[in-house]
Amino acid sequence: MKIKKLIALGLCAAMVSSMTVAPVFAAEEEATEEAAETEEAAAEEETTEEAADPAAQFEGLKANEAYEFPMMVKSFQSTYWQAAVEGMQKAADELGVTFTPQGPNSESDIADQVNMINTAIAAKPVGLGLAACDTSSVTEALEKCAADGIPVVTFDTGVADAPEGSVVAEVVTDNTQAGAVAAENMYGAIKDVIANAEGQVIIGEVNQDATAQNIQMRGAGFINKMIELIQADGKTVAVAGNEFYVNAAEGADAKEADADVVIQVAVPAQTTVELCSTEAQAILSKENCIAIFGSNQVAAEGVLAANANLNVLGSDAAAGDVIGVGFDAGSIIKAAVQDGTFLGAVTQSPLMMGYYAIYALTAAANGDEVEDVPTAGYWYDATNMEDESIAPNLYD
Amino acid sequence: MTKKKKSILSDQRFIVLIVVIALTAVFSFMSKEFRQYNTLLSLLDFSYYDLLMAIGVTFPLITGGVDLSIGTGMVCYALIGGTLIRSHGVPVVVAMLVCVLLGVLIGILNGVLIGVMNLPPFLATLCTCMITRGAGSLCTATPWPGLTQEGGWFHSIFKLTIGTGRSADRYPIGFLWMVILVLLMEFVLNHTKFGRYTIAIGSNKEAAALSGINVKFYHVMVYVVCGLFTGLAAIAYAAVTPTVQPGTGAGLEMDAIGGVFVGGVAATGGYGSVLGTFVGIFVIMLLKTGLPYVGLQANWQQIITGLVLIVAVLIDIIKEKKAAAL
Repeated sequence: MKIKKLIALGLCAAMVSSMTVAPVFAAEEEATEEAAETEEAAAEEETTEEAADPAAQFEGLKANEAYEFPMMVKSFQSTYWQAAVEGMQKAADELGVTFTPQGPNSESDIADQVNMINTAIAAKPVGLGLAACDTSSVTEALEKCAADGIPVVTFDTGVADAPEGSVVAEVVTDNTQAGAVAAENMYGAIKDVIANAEGQVIIGEVNQDATAQNIQMRGAGFINKMIELIQADGKTVAVAGNEFYVNAAEGADAKEADADVVIQVAVPAQTTVELCSTEAQAILSKENCIAIFGSNQVAAEGVLAANANLNVLGSDAAAGDVIGVGFDAGSIIKAAVQDGTFLGAVTQSPLMMGYYAIYALTAAANGDEVEDVPTAGYWYDATNMEDESIAPNLYD
Repeated sequence: MTKKKKSILSDQRFIVLIVVIALTAVFSFMSKEFRQYNTLLSLLDFSYYDLLMAIGVTFPLITGGVDLSIGTGMVCYALIGGTLIRSHGVPVVVAMLVCVLLGVLIGILNGVLIGVMNLPPFLATLCTCMITRGAGSLCTATPWPGLTQEGGWFHSIFKLTIGTGRSADRYPIGFLWMVILVLLMEFVLNHTKFGRYTIAIGSNKEAAALSGINVKFYHVMVYVVCGLFTGLAAIAYAAVTPTVQPGTGAGLEMDAIGGVFVGGVAATGGYGSVLGTFVGIFVIMLLKTGLPYVGLQANWQQIITGLVLIVAVLIDIIKEKKAAAL
C-alpha cells in the first residue's frame, strides 16, 4: 500500500512540475505595452536597412491563414528572451498570426526542453520556432519534423548538423562576427600594453558553457580574431584552459609557458553567475592579467561580481586597469558600461531575431522558399548607448 | 550514543577542521593568487548563503529528514523581494522581511506535510522545491539595489565597505554574524527543549512520542527553523549576486546539505552539531573557490566534492560501528 501511495505522490509531483514549467508567461502582456515605444524606433531602423538585407525576402508577406506557431526559447531566465518574445509579438501582430512562447526553467535544462519540443511536435503545428539549449540533443526531434513536414526556423542558436529538410531557415546572430567585434574593440585598448609588456600577459575569457553552438562560435570568434590581431603586431600567442576552446582556436603559435600573450579560457561546471564569478576571479587575480571577456550576460555578470572585491577593471589600460568587455545587456552590464567598469560590450538583436523568426515561419507555412536571416552583433560603449540603432536592443 | 569520553581526535568536527586547514595550506602553496585577502573576501561573500542554508537544514537532517526546497526557495524569495523593490517601490527592509516571512511559510508547509501528514521528507520537499522553482520563474531577472544605489545599505550587513572604488577597504563583517548565529544555534540544539527534542525525533520518533513529547509540533518547528534560515540566506544571496536569475537555485541545496554531512551529522539522523556544519561548509567553499585557482577545470570540482562527501559519510559510519561494538 505504502509503495502505491508513494508512486501516486510521485506522479502528482511530476504533474505539478510540468505545470510550473508550462508556458506561463506573465511578463508578456506588460512587456508588449512597454515595448510599443522601442518597437517604433526598431521599425524605423529596419526600414532603412531593409534594402541590402536578406530580410527583404519578406517584403509584402501575408499569412495565408491565421497560423499558430510554438516558439521554443531557451528559458525565461533573462530579459534577453523577453526582448525576443517582444519581437515575435510585433511580427505576429503585423501578420495576423499567433504564437506560444515556451521554454524550460533554465538554459541548462536540456532534457526539459527536448520534452517540450516533442510535445509541441506531437500536436502537428504548421511550423516550429526553436532556440535549442543543446544543439546535439534536438536531432531526433528535428528528424521527426522533417518526416512530418513541419518546417523549423531556428533562432538565436543554429543547429549545424540539422537533419536534411527539417530546418528551413536560421535567424541567428553571426556569432563568429560578434565575438570578433569584441576582440577588435578590446585589442584597440590593450594594444600598447601588449607591445610594451615585459614578460607574459594574460587575456581572460569566461564562457558559460562549451555545448551551445552560439557560445562556442562567439568564444572561438573572439579567440581567433584576438590571435590574428596579436600576431599581426609580431607577438606570440597560446590558448589555455577549457579543452573545447583550446582545440577550436586557430593559429596559436606558442606554448603556454613561453608565449607573449596567453588567452586563458574558463568554463564553469554550471551556468550560474556564482560559478562564472569564481572562474573570473581566478583569472583576474593574476597579476599579469590585462583584459577579460565575458561572452554572454551570465558570464559578463560573473566577471563583474568577481570585480566587486578585486576592483581591477577600468578603462585606462596604460594606468594598469584591466580592460573588461561584456556581451548582451541587462541593467547590471549597462551600468558597468556607462560608468567605465567595462570598456564596452557587444549586443545582439534579440528583438529582431524574434521578429524575423515569425516572418520566416509564416513564409514557410505559406509554402515559400526561405533564406537564412543573419543578424549582426553591435559594439556599444558609453558613447553610443543612446543611439537609435543601439538603444532598442539594450534590454534591462 | 555512547557516553564514553571521546578523545578530540575522534571528533569529526576536529578532523574536518584539520581538513580545512590542510586545504587552505595546499591551495595557498599551489597558487600565489589564492593567498590574497581578496580571495578570502570573495570566498566569504559566497559562503554566507550556503552557510545560512546549511545551519537551517542541519535540523531536518538531524531528525533523519531532509529539506530539498532550500536552494530553489532561497532564489524564489530573493526574486520576489527583488521584484517588490524594483517594480513596486517597496523599501529594501520590507523586502528583506518578506524573504524571511516566505521562508517561514514554506517551512510551515514542509513541516505540516512531513510532521502532521506523514509525507516522506524527500517527497514533500521535492514538491515544495518544484513549487518554489516555478514560482520564482514567474518573476523576471531582478537585480537588488547595488551598493551605491538607493537601498544598497543592506550589502553592509555582510561586507562593510569604507571608501569608494579602488581605495575602498572592505571588511567581511558577515563572518561575525555567522559565528554568532552558529554559536546561538549550537546552544539551541544542545541546551533547549526544541534542540533536544529534535535529536530525540531523529534517534527514535516512536520512543519520543511515547515519552510524552509533542512530536508533531516539534517536527513542524524543525522545518520552520530551516525555512527561517533559508529566508535569511535569500538576503545574503541577493547581496552577492548581481542579478538574481529566475529558474536557478536547483543544486544550491546540495552544497549546503553536503557541507552538513561533511560536518558530521549522522546520515541516519539522531546526531549532529551546528559547529560541525560551520566547518563542513568551509570544506565545500574551499574546494569550490580553490580548485579554479590551481587551474583545475570546474567539472573536477564536483567530482572531488563528491569524493570528499563519500569519505565524510564513511568516517561517520565507521565511527557508529565502533561505538556499537564497544
